[in-house]
Amino acid sequence: MSNLESLKFFWPELILSATALIAILSDLIYERKDSHKVSFWAIGGLLLTFITIRLFGGSSINGLFMGTMALDPFSEFFKILIVLSTIIVMLMSFNSSELDGYRKGEYYTIMSIMAFGLVMMTSAIDVLMFYVAIEIVSIMSFFLAGYLKRNPNSNEASLKYVIYGAFSSGVMLYGLSILFGLTGETNFFAIKNAISQLGPDSNLALILSIVFILVGLGYKISAVPFHFWTPDVYEGSPTSITAYLSVAPKAAGFALIIRFFNIAFGSNSAMGSDEWSSLNSLPWPFLIALLSAATMTIGNLVAIQQQSVKRMLAYSSIAHAGYMMMAIPVMSQSGIYGLMIYLFMYMLMNLGAFFVVMYVQDKFDGENFDAFNGLGWKMPLLGISMTLFMVALTGLPPTSGFVGKFYIFAAVIEAGNQYYWLAFVGVINSVVSLYYYIKVVRHMYFEGERSDIVSLPESKLTTSLVLVLALPTFFLGWYFSPLVEWANNSLNFFLGI
Amino acid sequence: MADIVFWFVAFITVFSAGMVVTSKSLLYSAYSLLFTFLGVTGLYIFLWADFLAVVQVVVYIGGILVLIIFGIMLTNKITSVNISHSSMQKGVGAVVAIGFIASLGYMAISSPWLQAANTEPAETTASIGRLLLMDYLLPFEVASLLLLGALIGATTLSRKDEDG
Repeated sequence: MSNLESLKFFWPELILSATALIAILSDLIYERKDSHKVSFWAIGGLLLTFITIRLFGGSSINGLFMGTMALDPFSEFFKILIVLSTIIVMLMSFNSSELDGYRKGEYYTIMSIMAFGLVMMTSAIDVLMFYVAIEIVSIMSFFLAGYLKRNPNSNEASLKYVIYGAFSSGVMLYGLSILFGLTGETNFFAIKNAISQLGPDSNLALILSIVFILVGLGYKISAVPFHFWTPDVYEGSPTSITAYLSVAPKAAGFALIIRFFNIAFGSNSAMGSDEWSSLNSLPWPFLIALLSAATMTIGNLVAIQQQSVKRMLAYSSIAHAGYMMMAIPVMSQSGIYGLMIYLFMYMLMNLGAFFVVMYVQDKFDGENFDAFNGLGWKMPLLGISMTLFMVALTGLPPTSGFVGKFYIFAAVIEAGNQYYWLAFVGVINSVVSLYYYIKVVRHMYFEGERSDIVSLPESKLTTSLVLVLALPTFFLGWYFSPLVEWANNSLNFFLGI
Repeated sequence: MADIVFWFVAFITVFSAGMVVTSKSLLYSAYSLLFTFLGVTGLYIFLWADFLAVVQVVVYIGGILVLIIFGIMLTNKITSVNISHSSMQKGVGAVVAIGFIASLGYMAISSPWLQAANTEPAETTASIGRLLLMDYLLPFEVASLLLLGALIGATTLSRKDEDG
């Protein structure tokens, strides 16, 4: 479809980019102490984006903008997830005392631009487009990670992020150039057609290019062995940004991995039927399965040793990336929609957990386990919510975390005995993770002084934000059929061009 | 003749790239980078990519490299910083590097690369412009938002504390 005709399907993205521009312009009006008001513009723009995404929902068009973008329910699901998490993190940032003393106008502007990049990542079907989108996300996250510029940890986080980011996107570009050298195409569908014409003597080059591309994408979702930046960046960044980095780029990265590998390296029947396989029997599903097992095992084993809750959550987010990656190699519809459900649940519980950590960090000036001592008695609402988030992150039954894990494990088992080992590794890891999640609960209720003075969060925003994250985490564990149905309907995105 | 020139250019590129990594002084590294960039320009010329070759000189040598050298010279005491290579791990590094080069080299020789039709060299600028403003208009426009964000971020991080 030509560029001009495509514009009318592009409203959400247009509004999102206008939001960023309006945010930076409105920053000129406000005094420094009022600079947080920029967020009203940013949140307003994001809400409008949310509405337009819903309005344009349901339609499926491949090949917008001369075949660089796709509009389909699959990307709609991820766009909604990304916009929602951006709004929640912006609201979280109101409460953050870390950010006091810095101008906040640019903070919200950069977040809007990052949200734009994430939205583009979910719907790109052209190699060039997806590279530009990834770069937007990476570069904006470098700034956000280093936003506390008087804090050496934050500087360190930003610098480490830059170095790892530059390296991994360089390696990814090399992989993409190999792919282009073999096929001469940049569009995913055209790449697939070209690959299916290639003989077996090109398999080595294809495998190397897949490995290199996985370096870049694995860095985005912090999969082992590209995870080394994660703990330091998560620890040094402002906690609100840590929460954001642990959810939104992961969601967009998974959307991109699913779309890219299933279109470009999947066989013709991909997504059209229940079963499909990899093109020219390239071993990428097995590679991702191996990475998945390594990711969750290393994430969990290192998380056990952490003293800081923020770092523990960083490693736990690596482990969660591992669980989610399990769903990709099975190459079935149930795997993909299991992953989507998991991501939605993960967004709620992980943002919630980081929100409580942020609150505790502000109030008690520490993020170690000891800072949580007695929290359950002092602040019952936060204590109960944090317990809920921890149980959900473990994946125990009465919460939404169980539903997400259940769908992923079911998909892996369903795929037949070739991936039983993966499911086994996943179950073992879930059990291991119970130890360090429950440690937080133990510190909140069984360590430190039990005080009878009960204090509630002083601001209504805090209370309502905790409830907004905690209630769905709980109730989606009981009543999840609308979400499952939504994810299931979002899957028909393989129309061909 | 062309072969000799090609190997010469390739040698300069790889050798000076090695110098960038191994030399003890930051300034020597920066100057070695100059020859790496020049060598890459030569490779582009061999590929008939005239526009890319010029851009390589203008942007990388004229812009980025000069910026790096300025950065080094204007930063206090950085020229005398002793870069320690204590974690170089030469043995393991050599094994990994040789394995890597061997597999990439084997791949380069054995793979059926897409051959461009062997046409007479024509200027590429017009077709690059047409591609950027038609087929790849969206990435081209989105890149402008990327640059805007990069500018905002860079000013935010480098601004003095009093007013920021």
